Amino acid sequence: MISSPCILNDVTRCIGCEECVAACQKINQLPQEDPPPRMGHSEDGLSATRWTSILRREGGINVRKQCRHCLEPACVSVCPVGALQKTAEGPVIYDKSICMGCRYCMMGCPFGIPHYEWNSLTPSIRKCIMCYEKLKTGEIKEPACVKACPKEATIFGSREEMLAEARRRLDAEPEKYIQHIWGEHEVGGTSVLYISHVDLGFLAWENPEELGSGALPDRTWNALKKVPFEFVGMGAFMTAAWWIIDRRMRLESEPEVENAAEGEVSGKDDERGLQ
Amino acid sequence: MTRRVQITKGILWFISGLAAAVTIVRFTRGLGATTVLSDTTPWGLWVGFDVMGGVALAAGGFVIGAIAHVFKRERYHHAVRPAILTALLGYAAVAVGLLYDLGLPWNIWHPIIFWNPHSPLFEVAWCVMLYLTVLFLEFLPVFLERTRFTKLYRTLLRLQLPLIILGISISTLHQSSLGTLLLIMPFRLHPLWYSPHLPELFFVSAICLGLSMVIFESSVTSWLYERKPNIRMLSGLSRFAAGAMAFYLGFRFIDLAHHHKLGLAFQNTFEARLFWVELATSAIIPLILFLIPKVRKSHTGVFIAASMGVVGFLLNRVDASGLAQVWATGADYFPAWTEFVVSFGIVSFFALIYLFIQEHFPVEKEILDEEAKWQQRQLFVLPRFDRLTRVWLGDQSFASRRVYSLLFVSALILGLTLTPWEPLVEASPVTRARGGKVLRVGYPIGTVEFPHAEHIKRIGEDQCGVCHHLHKPGDLGTPCTECHADLYLETQIFSHVRHIDRLGGNAACARCHTPEKPPAAASAAKCSSCHEKDMMAKNEVVTSFEHTAAPGLRAAAHKLCIRCHREKAKDPELKKPDLFRCATCHRSPVNHGDVILEASLKDQESETLKGEKDPVAIEETPVAPEEPPVTMDHTLATD
Repeated sequence: MISSPCILNDVTRCIGCEECVAACQKINQLPQEDPPPRMGHSEDGLSATRWTSILRREGGINVRKQCRHCLEPACVSVCPVGALQKTAEGPVIYDKSICMGCRYCMMGCPFGIPHYEWNSLTPSIRKCIMCYEKLKTGEIKEPACVKACPKEATIFGSREEMLAEARRRLDAEPEKYIQHIWGEHEVGGTSVLYISHVDLGFLAWENPEELGSGALPDRTWNALKKVPFEFVGMGAFMTAAWWIIDRRMRLESEPEVENAAEGEVSGKDDERGLQ
Repeated sequence: MTRRVQITKGILWFISGLAAAVTIVRFTRGLGATTVLSDTTPWGLWVGFDVMGGVALAAGGFVIGAIAHVFKRERYHHAVRPAILTALLGYAAVAVGLLYDLGLPWNIWHPIIFWNPHSPLFEVAWCVMLYLTVLFLEFLPVFLERTRFTKLYRTLLRLQLPLIILGISISTLHQSSLGTLLLIMPFRLHPLWYSPHLPELFFVSAICLGLSMVIFESSVTSWLYERKPNIRMLSGLSRFAAGAMAFYLGFRFIDLAHHHKLGLAFQNTFEARLFWVELATSAIIPLILFLIPKVRKSHTGVFIAASMGVVGFLLNRVDASGLAQVWATGADYFPAWTEFVVSFGIVSFFALIYLFIQEHFPVEKEILDEEAKWQQRQLFVLPRFDRLTRVWLGDQSFASRRVYSLLFVSALILGLTLTPWEPLVEASPVTRARGGKVLRVGYPIGTVEFPHAEHIKRIGEDQCGVCHHLHKPGDLGTPCTECHADLYLETQIFSHVRHIDRLGGNAACARCHTPEKPPAAASAAKCSSCHEKDMMAKNEVVTSFEHTAAPGLRAAAHKLCIRCHREKAKDPELKKPDLFRCATCHRSPVNHGDVILEASLKDQESETLKGEKDPVAIEETPVAPEEPPVTMDHTLATD
């Protein structure tokens, strides 16, 4: 298997035939019949049984949506048990036997990719895994969706190759494309890249100025790495506060202490508190 | 036991019964049957209220612990035990709530062995587990106080201060980590809530909520057991709460101002209104109330202010984990009644446990003593046997237990009959239609735009040929090329030249055109003013110049071919299931057909600017004879 596998989607070439969707469902043995959608379901056509879908925009624009296999995936960083993993090669995969079903990954994904089997009693997170296992065993040379594309609108290779190819296309027809490779820097870089003649901001939850180009896991880690210091610091502060206050109170009530045992003193205080 | 307690317990048992019914459905039919959660709203009421809210509600335990034991305010010792009990039960309720919410609840223990220290939720999970243990140890002396385990009791009492400090440290971590939880979703959470200081804000607001809850709860138990509230303690606590709230307000506004987001609060949006409602109920109004000495000294005043604080800060948690994300997700999530029942059911059930422990263990000594006295009184005062009717009355507590059981069981049955056993799903099909109400066709795309659905409705669903295959006046069958002189441009069927010839040259202008200058198509007479309907074949639609445009061949072919292809693909005799797939016609770029399409697209692009295009150009493109890109006769076959 090649290192850092990557998919490049050329929006100008996609005719929206959904061959990729069918191929994906076939290789992952997903049912072709979609379950009835739930109230408030996502409009992008992705579901637990459709790991890739075609978003259609006015003017015959077709954009394929799938897991981006981010270089620093938010879903992997937030999973409390590590059921989602970033493999050494690059694809982000899922292990159901570890998962406890908290669905934090679904909340954390900036692209709304992980979907859930809501109507199952033993539900799993379902999403594109870039045909990881089959690529690794060498059973296939490229992901099923890429192979199925009749227009070569989606191609496969290492991330460097794909970035080079994307730049080559942008340079070859500068008036056709918007000079931007989506996924090169977004959320710290992704393994699924897009080039397009329309803006693709709609592929993520829309809040561009908050999203930025930094990796999302950094945001939580900045807070989390302080945890040990907070723990010790708070403990030390409280102990110190107690020691100072206790000492001052003991000094103030010294005559009383002489007469009575300390426990009784606090007992008297208690009674006073009740009145 | 007073009448108030009995009625309250009855209600709590009833809600618990309803929740028990939903519990059965939840664990036999799954999340789908009992929630309206979806892929756009994976976290709902059970996370927002039960977990986020529950943990913050239970913050009273560590705050009171700190005030009474670390800062040695003896006045509040009295509140320590109830607060710790609330915390213990609150965290237990959070764990139970999580069991409902987790998709695979039997894996809830997994954070113990599968570690991911980068996850805030992992940190929260560990803290909650540790803190539950600490709380249990803090509270254990209450259970042991009147038993013979005196040695253990003394050891635990000696350990109380270290335990409380440990509890404070752990609480600091996970109360703030619940805020960290949301840091990963800047794209979901509205900027009015999102801030890099969410952890700190969550910690401070947990202190406010914890204090409000202690006041609220103390007032409620006093009311329930008809006991004089300890107003001195309450007003002292409300002073602390006021301080915390003032700090919270200042922190939040400075944070907003620092990130230049204060303006968002003054826009007329749902989020801005929500922000003000939340702040007003959680901090602003309670703070003002607490600052008035008169209110602080009145039991009702303190109670009202504290209740508002509880509601407001709970709203803050629900906002942050749900309502303030709607702007990004656009999801219309409103919890199903089953979700509400479970949330309130868990609260009710743990409230019953709380009352039970209050009545049987020395949490607040007066309640226990009162209860014992009442029990004793029952033995002598009330008759257990009615001599007149010869009916065994039983003692009061037994009688009330019968009422509770009846309420619980009837609620259970009611719940089971009401609960939908099938998953709660919308019955509409998946919407994956091409385009919307308005169809854009032709080339360049977007030149013709009209309500297609409206046309279909008026002409009839199977009458595509009326527009897409025009029968021009006098023609029996119009070849496509007659109108589609250009493969991609929309076309005019009206021939001005022909009309001039037929009507007699320049002299006939006035037959169609009004004296207006310059004569324009728009102001000319309509076709239907001369042409009979049958002259237009079935073409009732083409009655004016606005409607003489038909889609370009690509659009027409797509609309028509696909119809027929779809039907033929389904035909079991034909055995050609691939007919309906795009790739059947659209092949890889090396294919001849597509070379033609792309080549002619480019030609056309350059020539559109020049105006009219020579129709012969189409004939000149190198059509591969064995594989025409889109065959004309094929299209006509569906007419």
